[in-house]
Amino acid sequence: MNEPVLRAEAVSKSYDGLSVLQGVTLEVGRGEVKVIIGPSGSGKSTLLRCLALLEPVDDGHVWLDGARLSGVREKELAPHRSEVGMVFQRFNLFQNMTALANVMCGLVEVRRLKKAEARERALQFLERVGLRDKADNYPEELSGGQQQRVAIARALVMRPKAMLFDEPTSALDVELVREVLDVMEALARDGMTMVVVSHELRFAHHVASSILMMDDGKIIEEAPPAQFFSSPSHERTRRFLSLVE
Amino acid sequence: MLASFDKHIFWEALSSRPYWHGALLSLELTCATLGAASVLAFFLALGALSKSGPLRGVVLVYNWLFRAIPTLLLLLFVWNGLPQLWGAFTGGWYRPFLAAFIALALNEAAYMSEIIRAGLLSVDPGQELAGRALGMTRGRILRRVIVPQAIRIIIPPTANEFITLLKLTSLASVISLYELLGASTIRASQDFRYLEAYTAAAVYYLAIVSVLMVFQAQLERRFTWRSTARRRRTVPAMAHDAR
Repeated sequence: MNEPVLRAEAVSKSYDGLSVLQGVTLEVGRGEVKVIIGPSGSGKSTLLRCLALLEPVDDGHVWLDGARLSGVREKELAPHRSEVGMVFQRFNLFQNMTALANVMCGLVEVRRLKKAEARERALQFLERVGLRDKADNYPEELSGGQQQRVAIARALVMRPKAMLFDEPTSALDVELVREVLDVMEALARDGMTMVVVSHELRFAHHVASSILMMDDGKIIEEAPPAQFFSSPSHERTRRFLSLVE
Repeated sequence: MLASFDKHIFWEALSSRPYWHGALLSLELTCATLGAASVLAFFLALGALSKSGPLRGVVLVYNWLFRAIPTLLLLLFVWNGLPQLWGAFTGGWYRPFLAAFIALALNEAAYMSEIIRAGLLSVDPGQELAGRALGMTRGRILRRVIVPQAIRIIIPPTANEFITLLKLTSLASVISLYELLGASTIRASQDFRYLEAYTAAAVYYLAIVSVLMVFQAQLERRFTWRSTARRRRTVPAMAHDAR
């Protein structure tokens, strides 16, 4: 049986007594693209952060490529984080580094590659997101769409086993959304395992293997796009879809 | 009125050895103090931002103590009081410069720690999050991402602290350290040419602060992350009507 790349098993999480995740179970197989939708505060981002090993879970387990990583100590956890790529809503590019240095950073600081080799590889990945000519520009000098593409390259260059996207286009001007979605679609076509929190329903329809609806810290529905949009089984999903579209 | 200003005495004072020496001493004391205080303050700031309650408590007490005690009192305490408290400090190695350095650095670290804390807090938390997501350790994130960005915020208030310290070094004349102001007071008392003696001292202060301001501007440019800002200095701007 094919081992899922990412697995969350009955994951619960609360902040200051406020329960954000309530026993979420999720499996992402190799090459699958899961799109998570749901109202704000439903726990989407928190789930993603737990999968990225950025937040310890209170209860349940997180598995990455067959290894259980929940409960692992901070020091030993850090290298595992580089095996999962994370893309943030607000890009979070290192402001004090050029686009190239941003993409090189993980290779040099985490993988301990030589500068020349890291540079070579970073340039390849900037090329892949169509930004090789912006290598020497600082984040401040790039548009939101360009920054997000650099952020994707920064995560990809680590050759992660899965990529997580936390509302990657919500902070972008409308005309810049497309260029980021194009990069993500190409990535999905190449067989990258992805979990995407997004309300870009057309993207979800095109690319997703399945769509998940979250509400109140739980996954209330999961279905392939066609079924999810045409006949959602849950009343809450129906109401939410009518609001988003 | 200017007729009473004797240019000759002024130039003589300005170029005299005690002035040179005093100015150099003030500058050395300022640099050494600010350097040591910044290092201590960096760890105090990390302590203030840590999750550990006791650690935050220690920093709070330190900052409370050394911000409350007047600098002059601390200086006198360290020079006169410390040898009574600890026999080790009665040795010949315990010079006024060292005492002034200790007192001013302890004092300054309390102020600098607040400046550094503010600088660290000004960095978007998303920067650390991105570093952690890449698998970087906290130490590396601090060194490569957070500290460089905090420095940009810290530079202007630190330049202020430098200037304040430069002036505070004159307090050390009470513990017989003949820095710039001490030298000018002695010069003035020789023939009561206060005007020339003090003007000459002011020129030194002006010169030091001028150099500092140039240095500050360069440093700020270095910690501004825009390629165009740098390129403008090497490549002439393209003409508007370039066809």
